[in-house]
Amino acid sequence: MKLFVIGVAAALLVSCSSGKKPDDEAFLQSLEKDASAGPGVDEEVINAILEQIPSPLEISVLLKESGSKYAPEMLNSSNNLPRYNSNYKKALNLGIYGTDLGYTNIFGRNQDGIKYISSIKSLADELNIGQFFDTPTIVRLAANSKNLDSLLLVTTLNFNHINHYLQSQSRDNLSVLLLTGGWLEAMQITCQTAAKNPGNKELQEKIGEQKIILEQILLLFSFYESDQNMAALKADLEKLKDAYDKVEISYTYKESTMEIIDGVAVIKDNSTTSINITPENVEEIKNITNSIREKVIS
Amino acid sequence: MKKLVFALLCLSSLGMSPAPDDQECNSENFATACIPKLATGFNFLKSYKVDGLAKDKVEYSYVFTKGTQYMINLCANGAATDGIVVSIFDKERNKVATSKVNGQFISAIAYPCNATGIYYIQYTFDEPSGHCGGSALGFKR
Repeated sequence: MKLFVIGVAAALLVSCSSGKKPDDEAFLQSLEKDASAGPGVDEEVINAILEQIPSPLEISVLLKESGSKYAPEMLNSSNNLPRYNSNYKKALNLGIYGTDLGYTNIFGRNQDGIKYISSIKSLADELNIGQFFDTPTIVRLAANSKNLDSLLLVTTLNFNHINHYLQSQSRDNLSVLLLTGGWLEAMQITCQTAAKNPGNKELQEKIGEQKIILEQILLLFSFYESDQNMAALKADLEKLKDAYDKVEISYTYKESTMEIIDGVAVIKDNSTTSINITPENVEEIKNITNSIREKVIS
Repeated sequence: MKKLVFALLCLSSLGMSPAPDDQECNSENFATACIPKLATGFNFLKSYKVDGLAKDKVEYSYVFTKGTQYMINLCANGAATDGIVVSIFDKERNKVATSKVNGQFISAIAYPCNATGIYYIQYTFDEPSGHCGGSALGFKR
């Protein structure tokens, strides 16, 4: 049944396409990847886990508000684009460039952001999802720093549309890679920033908290072990998990309280988490993250 | 400018969606309409379709982070929530927030998170007629 649905979807998409051969090939390649996903994979489960992964934008906002300086040298150069020839690399680096774009936007460096917009559009086109990336609107919004809210909104919506589309087309393997790339880049930026600010406990805790996200990402990768590329990346992520096993997160629940202010139910969260992470843990996590990210962007 | 962007998004969303029949819940439109209703200062994260025509509850999950304030709002037919209630549960399934307070249906929850972890965002339906809506999630530091 699944093959039939994929077949019909493929036929419809091919018949609606502009006839560009590279696009057709890219789409067919992505279907081959679907076939390599393990049998009995419950797409609803995968999609539910995918929806949990937080936006890298949250980390960029934290970095900006913690007073850290804009550091474009931490980002993946848009000049690396020609290196990404497989769908695997394209999807991962689409996520990486998405995080880099969010970072430049949050810091108001729109000229740098425009380079990423172009790279994102190229990768998205090659993955046959370029129709969801509204380049003219984003470039127009990026031209004026007063449009930051709208710019963040449109880019977030575009990436949400891409993920939903991939999931609806049973190309969730690409969605997993896209989100993993985005997360990996946010990790890299956070680790590098923490290394420059060794006294910043909040950043160290933020790195520690990523243990929760990594567990979800590894769960996602467990569905694609028959895919050679994803299995290799999973093995690398397992090394990161080994480092994270030394980080302890404890949770204490306490009933929350609430009051209504201006028609909004405002909650006072009385629960707490405590993150036990040492500078040595941070260093180890930073080094492993850097090594994985280097492989991905090379 | 923001309104113009939304107008374009709404139009494109309508253009891509099939026209609903009377029995259908066009939750996508409600979800899209909810995004600009996030309070000022909140950055949009996700929109959620709340289609309860065939089920008792609709549930999503998201990792909330300590030190970040989240806002979840509700949109349905009319100005009120049409009996739709959004509740937040922690990873142990303790209820940490709800939009139904003393029998009153509130259209938005502000949740300043103090404990990082997976949270479940659950939508339930208190009115027999109201099973269709949308919701948006935003954050600010």
